[in-house]
Amino acid sequence: MNAVAGPRSLLCELTYRCNLQCPYCYNPLSLGRPSEELTRDEWLRTIDQALELGVVQIGFSGGEPTLRPKDLVALVARATAGGGYTNLITQGTFLDDALLDDLLEAGLAHVQISIQAPERELAAEIAGTDVHERKLEVLRRVRERDVALTLNCVLHRLNHDTLPEVLAFAEREGIRRLELANVQFYGWAYKNRAALMPTRAQVERGTELVAAARARLGSSMDITYVLPDYFEELPKPCMHGWGQLALTVTPDGRVLPCPAAASITTLSFPNVRDTTLRDAWYTSDAFTRYRGTAWMPEPCRSCDRKEVDWGGCRCQAFLLTGDAAATDPACALSPHHELVTAYRDAVPDTEWAPRRPDPALR
Amino acid sequence: MNRTVYRLARGVRLRRETGGEAMLLVPEGIVALNDTAAAALELADGSRDLAAIVAELAERFEAPQTELAQDVNDLFDSLASSGFVTR
Repeated sequence: MNAVAGPRSLLCELTYRCNLQCPYCYNPLSLGRPSEELTRDEWLRTIDQALELGVVQIGFSGGEPTLRPKDLVALVARATAGGGYTNLITQGTFLDDALLDDLLEAGLAHVQISIQAPERELAAEIAGTDVHERKLEVLRRVRERDVALTLNCVLHRLNHDTLPEVLAFAEREGIRRLELANVQFYGWAYKNRAALMPTRAQVERGTELVAAARARLGSSMDITYVLPDYFEELPKPCMHGWGQLALTVTPDGRVLPCPAAASITTLSFPNVRDTTLRDAWYTSDAFTRYRGTAWMPEPCRSCDRKEVDWGGCRCQAFLLTGDAAATDPACALSPHHELVTAYRDAVPDTEWAPRRPDPALR
Repeated sequence: MNRTVYRLARGVRLRRETGGEAMLLVPEGIVALNDTAAAALELADGSRDLAAIVAELAERFEAPQTELAQDVNDLFDSLASSGFVTR
């Protein structure tokens, strides 16, 4: 008897390693030891268990998942053979012809490629390395093949003003799906919050630009524009509720209800090295703690939106208030809402920390 | 008579569970399908136009063509605007 539905999507973070140093990365500040990464066999077992639980969407990300190219191909093949739909979330710099062909042969259905900016210099400044031209080649390569493509650009104060050029870039490149996500503040992005926080003027202009682009492009381009939590009065239904649809497995095997959940240091997460995904999903403390609505404090408990936004984001509640069970401070009804407004209106920093591994852990 | 020929767009896949439940798998998403929609999409392999699909479904489900034609046209209009089927 299980009233709780099984998960539908699994995100496999194959490694925290990456050749870029984007300051908006949501990965944890401690990027762990490569020697602790799950082996291919451990990943295969994890994918088999996920498919058995009812997962149909399987994503591969990181870090940069193509830094484990042979493992990636093997995992895509396994997920596809089990009826799964596979998404590769990549910054693309290692997608050469051979790897793309191998991935497609393995059954890869969708590639999401990120750019840091619509032009080379700013992209290099943000990524800490000059790879923009390489990405243009990769976009061309992907377009030539039978696979769905989404172009992603994370927006923040450093690149927000280039949004018209991002839209023009996407149009020029024949992009059908464009994801413009305002930065969400977890991990490195949280550390760099004061430098990355967009201004209200940027956010509002973005909304107008996207509306105009949608009207002009119609169904030829599907544009997702994700508003930053800090500028909204209502919280996002983060992950459609804690432990309701999705799970993430980190490079070292921890099973999380959302990719940012490792930031909640008051929870201890199950690990695929010593438990099954089924137990992690249905019985672990980490997954059951904030599932549903029974855990909610006021003002969520008596709110008629409690099954709409599910209390918002647990990670953001923890990062800002120290209590993962608090109402998401992004909500205007939260007693901690001023933590959000104060940051939103704070004087910006001009310095940021590039995402880098701790030299002691290499 | 709608002579448009549709097929699934790149990266869009139709899946049937062993229990018969059907869904369209799309980039990072799932679209649940009813029986008629699933059957229509199975036939949309680029070899038939919508009128042919409607005729075939009418026979299979023993349903009136005019009603089915409306449903099938709406289905493909909506999927086309999301980019999940292409001409």
